[in-house]
Amino acid sequence: MADTLVMRRRDFWTALVLIVVSVFFLYQTSLIPFFDASAAGVQGAWYNSAGLVPFGIFSALLLLAIVLLFIAIRSTGMSGLASPRALGFTTTESERLICISAILASFIFCLVPRVDFIAASALLITALIWGFHSGDRIAMRISAISVTIAGLYALIAHFPRSEWTKAHDDDVVTLLSFACLTGIMFIRTARLDKIDRVVKLTPVIAIITPLLLVIAMAFGFRQNVPNRQGLLFSQIEYHYYVSLKPLWSGR
Amino acid sequence: MEFVATQIAGFWGSFIGLASDPITYVYLIASVFLGIVFGALPGLTATLAVTILTGFFGNKFPLEHSLIALIGAYVGAIYGGSYPSILLNIPGTAASAATAMDGYPLTKQGRGGEALGITTTASFLGTLFGTLCLLIFVWVLLAVSKNIASPEKALLALFGILLSGTLMSQDLVIKGWIAGLIGLAMAMVGLDPILSESRYTFGWSYLLSGFQVVPVLMGAFAIPQIMDGLRATVMVAQVPQLGRIVPKFREVLRRMPAITRSGAIGTGVGALPGVGEDVAGWVSYGVGKASSKESKLFGKGSIDGLISAEAANNAAIGGALIPLLVLGIPGSPPAAALLGALKINNVIPGPTIDPALILHVVAILVLASLTMFIMGLFTARIFITILRIPQTVFLPVVMVLTTIGSFSVGGGINDLFLMIAVGLVAYTMNVMQYPIAPLVIGVILGGLFDETFRRSLLISDGDMSVFVSRPGAAILLALNVLLILSQIPAVKNGFRRLTGKKEPVA
Repeated sequence: MADTLVMRRRDFWTALVLIVVSVFFLYQTSLIPFFDASAAGVQGAWYNSAGLVPFGIFSALLLLAIVLLFIAIRSTGMSGLASPRALGFTTTESERLICISAILASFIFCLVPRVDFIAASALLITALIWGFHSGDRIAMRISAISVTIAGLYALIAHFPRSEWTKAHDDDVVTLLSFACLTGIMFIRTARLDKIDRVVKLTPVIAIITPLLLVIAMAFGFRQNVPNRQGLLFSQIEYHYYVSLKPLWSGR
Repeated sequence: MEFVATQIAGFWGSFIGLASDPITYVYLIASVFLGIVFGALPGLTATLAVTILTGFFGNKFPLEHSLIALIGAYVGAIYGGSYPSILLNIPGTAASAATAMDGYPLTKQGRGGEALGITTTASFLGTLFGTLCLLIFVWVLLAVSKNIASPEKALLALFGILLSGTLMSQDLVIKGWIAGLIGLAMAMVGLDPILSESRYTFGWSYLLSGFQVVPVLMGAFAIPQIMDGLRATVMVAQVPQLGRIVPKFREVLRRMPAITRSGAIGTGVGALPGVGEDVAGWVSYGVGKASSKESKLFGKGSIDGLISAEAANNAAIGGALIPLLVLGIPGSPPAAALLGALKINNVIPGPTIDPALILHVVAILVLASLTMFIMGLFTARIFITILRIPQTVFLPVVMVLTTIGSFSVGGGINDLFLMIAVGLVAYTMNVMQYPIAPLVIGVILGGLFDETFRRSLLISDGDMSVFVSRPGAAILLALNVLLILSQIPAVKNGFRRLTGKKEPVA
């Protein structure tokens, strides 16, 4: 019952968000020609309009959101709607989510487009394993900060798309961040407790996984990989085609 | 009779072709192994296994080989979920949740090996049953589907989304419908399929081609798992002693009625658009409990209970592929990922599908289930060792796999932005208890619904009666309306009063 009440309180807010979203998209849909739909010189009618189905979808979404709001108000009696605790959110869980979101957002939006994929992935894997395996909140914060710093540097130093693949200073910063994080991980774990197998294996997993994956994807599966001009991958690619391939092709 | 003989001959040709090609075994062994690992590790799912492999194989490999890898992983993952369910009481996938009900009590009784052996056999026979049904019914439905026009297609797509929303919702049914509508709305982004009018692109040229299926699938299924699974974990200290895994032949023969019943239920539920293996497992478990001779043992360590769940969830694979191949409507979330793979290889499922491809799929299913059976019986201890890997170790690796897989399919960084955005929305929806499967089904079927709905009106000059004047369309419309009405409390209460049943106590 308590869980249901918490869920209905959350539903109140999601219903409000859904109402705003559906009204916004209904407005956007109204910009699509409806009664005088035409394309490629062919005059259409309302039933041919590109806005017909979206209009139905967003109207239905608005209707269901209103029904959800009504259910939420009836179940909660509008009590505890503004209290994070009554909504079932705890400080620990919120902090965990903020840290994960910061790490993932920095990785995808800042590091992957600009930084060597092996270096960025090594930093990500170390941060996620050490930051969340033991439940140590300090480790979680340090992990989030180290990925965010590397991400912010790459973002600020090489913001425009034209600079994404040029200089390698952001690759170096990311590698340094990875080295520092690994060092801190060992020092802190040794101080708190005995260094366990997971901590010992983390740097190995962090380096080997993206390395093998990128090599397999680029040269085995012949697929595209992110940031081919990155500090490490450009060297691998160069030596694959210049040093290794001639060896087995007999040239 | 001639039809059956032709089918068997066609299947046999395809089977021999595959079995005599050494490369088949490379793909098959690797993918079934990977699938079982994905299924066995709690936090990873069958859908994720198929989606990640779709990202890897993309359109750079021949479709015949890609399908071996994808179907192998699908079969392996659905089966692999039974390992942690039986040994640790932690379902590896949603599909194996019902397995834990009797599997874990059997392990506590020191019969873990026996449970694994019978589960492997039931999963194998269940998959074969589903595959046989696929071989038979896909042609029957393909013949019927030649009479399916735009109105029926539009209503069937809508029915798939509604049904998925209704059955997959753990909280209010309305949330499942909202998830389906969000998926449909996402499918509206880009150029519309009839007039090529741009919709909701906000001046961003990347959105003109709409949301790509693979990044959406990766975002919807991988990111929430990663965000939710990264929390302090306790390592599994010791997996219980197992004993003999290979089941006795006489015992398997004795359980054949339960396996056949569960296989039939699993195939039927799997064939429902957008429902899937987890619902199949629970429905079959419920039916098994009501009809089995040892129903009193259900929940306390019943072999029949175990079979009911496991044969059904594996049989659902064949079932889920029936609407996929006949109509392009996935029967389950992993089948939705398979549809993504077919789409990026320019294969359009439906009446015009190449019959050789269907026979190829059937032959792969048979070989994949055989591989799973052999691996399950003779290499089970490897998978049991893998159970000891904590999810905080493998989920970061999955994040890297997902990133590179999503990037490789489209070859653009925008796909990664889309993946993470969809992932954050899907995680929020998970927290708020909105099911993700209807959203994905909505994204996949949205384009089909939009095109066929408008084409129906175009043909009829805007006359809405086109949706009731054709018998097939009228039936489907009635099903849609009944499905919605059946969830409205006032209608439910009215129906209860009419039938004289009492309202259930909350």
